[in-house]
Amino acid sequence: MSKFFISCDEASILSTRDQYNDLSPKEKFRHKLHNGHCIGCRSFNKKSRLFSRTLNGLGWVKLSNPQKNSIKEKLKAAMKK
Amino acid sequence: MPEIKLIPEKWVDRYSDYLFNFTISRVNDPIMAQDLVSETFLAGLKSAHRFKGQSTERTWLISILKRKIIDHYRKSNSKKGKAEVRMSYLENSDQNGDWMEEQVRDLRNPNVEDEIEQKELGEALNKCIAALPERYATIFVQKTIDKLDTETICKEHDITASNLWVIIHRARVQLMDCLNTKWYKKD
Repeated sequence: MSKFFISCDEASILSTRDQYNDLSPKEKFRHKLHNGHCIGCRSFNKKSRLFSRTLNGLGWVKLSNPQKNSIKEKLKAAMKK
Repeated sequence: MPEIKLIPEKWVDRYSDYLFNFTISRVNDPIMAQDLVSETFLAGLKSAHRFKGQSTERTWLISILKRKIIDHYRKSNSKKGKAEVRMSYLENSDQNGDWMEEQVRDLRNPNVEDEIEQKELGEALNKCIAALPERYATIFVQKTIDKLDTETICKEHDITASNLWVIIHRARVQLMDCLNTKWYKKD
């Protein structure tokens, strides 16, 4: 039975991993099974999904690799001095 | 608190995206933001001997960056700076309209409102990330924003995959709480 039923702590970690598509089919099944009977974890999962949607909608700005390399070069040159 | 040492070799990989996000939300010009980040690292290197190890590397670099941003605005608000801005506007445009008017956003346009809201939300989130313990913030950013794979992050920080997920989980819970108080409840 313990193969299928997990604690709320484990379920919340699985919920987080699920946001990064990191769950195996077995883990997905366990997670769904737990959420099926646990209101608290279901609510946390919903909040976590909303949070992920917010993060994905923000359009983070990042430096490209050539930009980072250019800064690294400047920094390296300065460190040699 | 253990004394913190500076590791300039890792600055770009660890902090450049964070500093870039911090800067771009304040100067609104990607090229200028990149220059300011680069100058921050160089200034950090120059004044490394003054680092007392009482704050984290990131906090220290942010304090240098803040001064750089203030200097940038001082320069652009000076007479010479204003002339430079006008010159660069004229170089990029063949129109003769009022450049100041054209730079002002139309607030009646709902897309602009959305954009502003997203920007403010981004700033609130950046503040929340800054309030996380440094290790949590770095790992969260690497996994969520830089989209690095689990193995690479685990190797860099010398942690197991389950440790990584616990850290990310805790970081997310703290960020959700922080956003809840700083953003969603502010109205």
